[in-house]
Order: sequence, then structure tokens, then C-alpha cells
Amino acid sequence: MTAEKALPELDPVIHAQARLRVVAALNVLGDRDEMAFNSLKDLLGMTAGNLSVHLTKLEEAGYVRINKTHRGRTPVTFAALTGRGRLAFDDYTKAIRTLLDNAGGNP
Amino acid sequence: MVNDERAPSPEEMLRVIEKQSVATSRWLSGDPLLLYIPWGVAWVLGFTALFLHYGLDGRPYAPISQMQAVGVLLTSQMVAGAIASYGFVRLSRVLRGDANARGTMFGYAWFAGMALMVIICVRISPQLPPEESGLLWAGSSLMLVAALHMAGGAVWLNWPMFFFGTWIAGVNGLGVLLGAGWHALLTAVLLGGGFIGVGVFLRRRS
Repeated sequence: MTAEKALPELDPVIHAQARLRVVAALNVLGDRDEMAFNSLKDLLGMTAGNLSVHLTKLEEAGYVRINKTHRGRTPVTFAALTGRGRLAFDDYTKAIRTLLDNAGGNP
Repeated sequence: MVNDERAPSPEEMLRVIEKQSVATSRWLSGDPLLLYIPWGVAWVLGFTALFLHYGLDGRPYAPISQMQAVGVLLTSQMVAGAIASYGFVRLSRVLRGDANARGTMFGYAWFAGMALMVIICVRISPQLPPEESGLLWAGSSLMLVAALHMAGGAVWLNWPMFFFGTWIAGVNGLGVLLGAGWHALLTAVLLGGGFIGVGVFLRRRS
């Protein structure tokens, strides 16, 4: 398939199914909203360890903002996409669509 | 399920994006088993009891007093309200930020609306015959439910919620025009049944 050749140009941080799901889920939230770690874990059906690893990678890339706080005495962690993360997700989605359009346009 | 080593195709990744976006939106709109179905059951039970009390031609279909019918309606609504509150509290823990503020304000709008409705009905209903008094309570509470569903649709840009509000408004308006017996029948079947139907539909979709 011709599209396969262009795959390396896609953002490697997002171009992994698990991280793409994290980013796609957080992208649904409003600009000033953040989601509790445990809720994100349940929504995605990931283990805490797995999600933690992916969130750290996304945070290192500047795509995700992690906020640790307390609800009463219980520590709660919140995650949200940064402006940069939203832009990267937008660019990624556009790139994927372009690849598909090109592949579909030249059968 | 997750395989980071293999390079997925663009089709696959686009499907992942679409599936995850839809799943997240649905997940954030709450569990229909807690938010819709208990209300549907409460209305089917309560308004069926009222319908059997009123009848369509002024003669009751079953020996149920108005107080008993209202008792069934209020009790089942309280149970539904408690279950829905649990659903909303659970939902409010998911997000922090504007979404939470929006949900809290919306919750207060429900509370204020219900409180005002009770004040107005308590003040006016003693002046009315029993049947009209029952219609005042039922009609005004459904007016509030309809308007707040439509407003909720506007706040969260949720079209099904908005249209369900218009459905409630239409059935309520027609029922009030036709009288207490018809209002109870239409509400039990079209709105109680409607809430259960919407709940089952949303549940199966998610």
C-alpha cells in the first residue's frame, strides 16, 4: 500500500495505539477541563502502570499536563491535553486523513 | 489489545481515533442505567396509578385514591432521584474544570426550579378542584423537566437531550389540554416509556 511509505512522517509520540487512544480521549474535553487518572484508566481499560507509562511519555513530549492534588485526604491525579498536545493531535489526524485520501484517490 | 511494536495502518489509526472520541463522549454523558431508566420506571408506575384513579371519562378504573396514586408517584420519584444523584456524583468525580462548574450550575437550576414549582403549586392548588390541582402539579413539574432537558442540550450541545426535551414538552402540553386522565396516560406511556426506551438505547449503544 502506498500509504505505508509515508508512515514514518507521522508523529512518533502519538503514532502508537495506546497513546493515540489517550490523546483522542483527552481531546474530547474542553480546553480548561482535566480528567481524573482513575476515570481515564477505566475509560481506556488500561492498567494503572500502563497508563502511567504512556502519560509520562506524553508529558515529556509536552502534550499532556499532569496535576497532582487532593480530594479530602485522598490524592488524585488529573490529566489534560496541553495546547501543544491538541495541535499535535490535530496535525496527526490531518496527516492520517491526507494519507488515506491519497491512497483512496489513486487506486 | 495494545501493540506498540507493530506499525498500524492509517485506516486502523483513524478508526481508533473515531472510536475513542465517540466512546469518551458517551462515557462522559453518564450511565443511562442510573440517569434515565429509574425515572422512566418511576413515571410508568406513578402515572399509571394516577391514570387508574382518574380514568378517561371521569370514572376511576381501579379503587385507588388520589393520595395513594400521588404517594406511588412521589415514592418512586424519590428512589429515581436518589439513584440519579448517585450517578451525577459519580460523574462529577471524573472531570475537573469548566465541565464541573457547568454541571454544578445545572444541578442548582434543577433544584431552584423544583423548589419554585413546589412553592407555586402549594400556594395555588388549594383553590382548584382535586383533578385540576393534580394536573397543575404534574404539568408544571414536566414543564420544568422539558425546559431543563432542552437547556441541557444547549449547554452540552447534546442533540438527543434537546429533542427529548421537546418531546416531553409536546406530550405534556397535549396532556394538559386533554385533561388529568389523558395527561396521566400519555405521561406513563410516552414519557415513562420514552425514558426507559432512551435509557435502553443509550445503554446498548455504549
